Amino acid sequence: MKENTASDKPAAAAAFRKRSSRFQLLTQHGDVFWRGLIAVTAIFVLVLVLAIGWTTWRDSALSREVFGLSFVLPTADASWNPVTDTYDAWPLIAGTIVTSVFAILIAAPFSIFIAIFLSELCPMWLRTPANFVIEMLAAIPSVVLGLWGIFVFLPSVVVPVGHFLENTLGFLPLFQGPIPASGSSRLAAVLILTIMIIPTITALTRDVLRAIPDSQREAALALGSTRWETIWQVLIPASLSGIFGAVILGLGRALGETMAVTMVIGNNTVEASGSLLRPGATLASTIANQFAEAVSPMHSSALIELGLILFVITLLLNMAARLLVYQVQKKVPTEARA
Amino acid sequence: MSRAKFGVGIILLAMAALSISACGGESTGAAALPSGSVKLHGAGATFPLAVYSQWNFAYKLANPSTLVNYQGIGSGGGKKAMIDGTVDFAGSDSLMKDKEYKAAADKGVTLQMFPTLAGAVVPIVNIPEITQTLTIDGPTLAAIYLGTINRWNDPALAKLNPKLTLPDKPITVVHRSDGSGTTEVFTKYLSKVSEEWKNGPGGASAVEWPADKLGNGVAGKGNPGVAATVQATPYSIGYVELSFAKLNNIPFFEMMNAAGNTVTADAESLNSAMLDFGDQFSDKLTVDTISNGPGAKSWPIAGYTYMIIPMNFRPDAAQGCMKAQKLLDYIYWFNTDADAMAQANLLGYSTLPESVRAQVFETLAHVQCDGQALQFGGTAPQAKANSE
Amino acid sequence: MSAVGQSASRAAQPILPRGLIKTKNRHHTRRITNLAMLGMTAAFTLFAAIPLIWVTVYTVMTGAKYINVEFFTELPASVLQGGGGVSNAIAGTIIITLIAMTISIPLGILAAYYVAEKPNTRLGLVVRFATDVLAGVPSIIIGLFAYGILVKPLGTFSALAGGVAISIIMLPTIVRSTEEMLKLVPRALREGSLALGAPDWRTSLVVLLPAALAGVVTGIMLAIARGVGETAPLLFTILGNDHYSVRQIVQSGVESGMTPIQILRELVLSPTDALTLTMYRYSQDPFPERVQQAWAIALVVMVFVLGVNILTRALTARRLAGRS
Repeated sequence: MKENTASDKPAAAAAFRKRSSRFQLLTQHGDVFWRGLIAVTAIFVLVLVLAIGWTTWRDSALSREVFGLSFVLPTADASWNPVTDTYDAWPLIAGTIVTSVFAILIAAPFSIFIAIFLSELCPMWLRTPANFVIEMLAAIPSVVLGLWGIFVFLPSVVVPVGHFLENTLGFLPLFQGPIPASGSSRLAAVLILTIMIIPTITALTRDVLRAIPDSQREAALALGSTRWETIWQVLIPASLSGIFGAVILGLGRALGETMAVTMVIGNNTVEASGSLLRPGATLASTIANQFAEAVSPMHSSALIELGLILFVITLLLNMAARLLVYQVQKKVPTEARA
Repeated sequence: MSRAKFGVGIILLAMAALSISACGGESTGAAALPSGSVKLHGAGATFPLAVYSQWNFAYKLANPSTLVNYQGIGSGGGKKAMIDGTVDFAGSDSLMKDKEYKAAADKGVTLQMFPTLAGAVVPIVNIPEITQTLTIDGPTLAAIYLGTINRWNDPALAKLNPKLTLPDKPITVVHRSDGSGTTEVFTKYLSKVSEEWKNGPGGASAVEWPADKLGNGVAGKGNPGVAATVQATPYSIGYVELSFAKLNNIPFFEMMNAAGNTVTADAESLNSAMLDFGDQFSDKLTVDTISNGPGAKSWPIAGYTYMIIPMNFRPDAAQGCMKAQKLLDYIYWFNTDADAMAQANLLGYSTLPESVRAQVFETLAHVQCDGQALQFGGTAPQAKANSE
Repeated sequence: MSAVGQSASRAAQPILPRGLIKTKNRHHTRRITNLAMLGMTAAFTLFAAIPLIWVTVYTVMTGAKYINVEFFTELPASVLQGGGGVSNAIAGTIIITLIAMTISIPLGILAAYYVAEKPNTRLGLVVRFATDVLAGVPSIIIGLFAYGILVKPLGTFSALAGGVAISIIMLPTIVRSTEEMLKLVPRALREGSLALGAPDWRTSLVVLLPAALAGVVTGIMLAIARGVGETAPLLFTILGNDHYSVRQIVQSGVESGMTPIQILRELVLSPTDALTLTMYRYSQDPFPERVQQAWAIALVVMVFVLGVNILTRALTARRLAGRS
């Protein structure tokens, strides 16, 4: 086609070629568009994050103005009352922190041991299935875990464990019973969250351990350390900040987890005792339960402010964790050289 | 490359398999709709969920050109969706507040509530040892929810149930986690029978539960959530709409009413409650409460469930005023069709007494769309279905 | 240093029967500590497998009892009638996932090009961090966001709002995995293409993308699996719809003379349902039949999500085996 036109009307073709070559030159054969396109999409991702932050900021204006800082500060007489439109986020913040922190306290040692096994000790033939188990555990949808939690895990594990804790440690405020017969309680949320974040922490810790060069292990073993001493005295200290980063990322996941927690925690927005055996609520579970029905502008604004709090916390945790993980990734090669 | 193609292929295959199962295999109930058919989306109270979804299925058979979808997201959710304009109609058992009418009016929409049914709220119970029906009265129920009675073998309960041995177990109090008309009916009743409740938590669609502060409260989402929680929790008490208790065989209390008689919740005691308050409708077509009526047979915890629609529909972008008209046809149908009413009664609701229905029809005759009057009742769709 | 070792050994001793510790010399203690701790790591790993196996086996056993043809092909029935299926939710999940894929795959891949090509520029670093943050944002907040920017302005709950919310969930996974894969493509390939005079965009799309495709597809598949399993972003965006049926919408659209665009609009802008949302709703339902259907849905979702994960692992293993 082009050739035909060219032979018929050489002048026009030359002009066309000139124009198109200038066009090609100007656009660097289309690369200007390409670079623009990828830059715009990259900026879009950034804008998306900012937009999420900004809309939660904007839509929570009403609640922020009326309640100010007292919304988030600890208070003994907290209320979450859609009738009088007075809201205190403290019990929810406390519930979120208590469930997440206890989940981390259980999950972190577990995960570190599993990561050690996976990266240092696991025989070759077992490596694939063992990693597989961890990754599949991470892949189970939250709502499925919640369903299993309600009907299987709560009655068969949480209730007996709750009774045991009440009978042995019931003198502590933390374990004041009785646990509801259904098992819906902060303890249930803690245990479900533990199951959910073990894979996150394990996978990251395993990667951090693997990043340590073999020369370190060989050196320690050559000096007469046992394998455990090599792991505990050489590898763990070397990767400590990375492990810390992994734990923080796990914490981030636990704080924001919604469905499974909503299904097992009992959704009590004002329970103030803080006992693990009592039903409670978290920031995310309260949003999930109430946002669709928040009629009054103040109620929905307060719920969006809960979202804002959650957003800010996860943002800060992510920053901290990434910094730590980046640091290890940078540090390891230097140590290897030294 | 080939491996990647394999991967893409697998995804497509999985999608295709699911699509076929989802779209190709639908055998009944998903036939093509006649042209000019409309889809109506409603959301709100879970109180009437069982009967609304039953009606929606029956209506699809009677009148295939209208599909009605109703999702039980709570009365609060219904009101919010209506004010935000995200649904065509809403269900609510809790009355709209003045500021809620105003929020809609600010957007140019005049909202109208009208009663569709009355339902009983029943206190449900789960005590594994006891299979007989328990009896309770208002003050005792309030005391349990206030936390002043917190064990099953409390003397007040024992006195009401002299023939039963109540266990020495703590009571777990189950309530709603969401804004709810069922809660409003229930707490308004508690306010009527207990001064302490009236001056404390009060009667509203969501309150601060004293039991929560004491740590023996658990919340479930929606009527289904409360019923499921009580079933899963031995020694618990909760409150749900009668149909949820009936259909699931959850034991519920008999109650001592204002006249001092022990009654059970059924169509008869519900009808008696409605007639107790038959002439107390406000100009907004709502009545504050029909609880604790003086009638000898009246079930004490009862309430109307309402629908909310705009008095002045905006024409739909694609279908103009047809959607509004079809919605009115649907409303007329469930108010007049004998089968629809029978289904409601079967599910434990009570349909409106004639005097109340007349008031509803009077108001709905004035619904407009785009400034034009709509027809209410003239073209009864069930007549069409019968002739076919 | 040694303090750590000692405390660990003290902690380990009581685990063992007394008779085992014959001599208390240090060498012996160290050996036992070593064995005990190594054993513990293995035991913990085994322990972590319990919930996975428990959830999977229980879901499969229970779900399988209640799954049948009707489950896939029928719309939900009323409670009085009983039976029925969840074809509305299956159709809804597919539509939502397709919408999410349409948005997140091109966006994710293009953004990944930028991050992969300019990793050390200020914008490159910031975008990379933004991706990490996005991956960490709780999904419920994304639901709030989608409600605010789509449901309220459009005046209707819709598959579109759900799809957009899910696409935001999928985006970071796709960006990160694509970026990693693009970085793995040998430089020589890229340089060769540029040396032959191909512009950047052609090199990227015709040379780099195919070379990285297997990995990119793996990332996309994992993102889809995650998207299908999400519930929280759908709570405020799609409402739920007992009558949602693609076949019905298309068929009645065609019969009433709608253009394909109008039919698509109807598909995308209607309130819809999703498997996970239905599972959540039914899990709180007192009707035993609904709870049974929730288990059946759990089975379907688990099979899909775990299936995709297993498949991608198999693909990755084969690819790695091919490389080495």
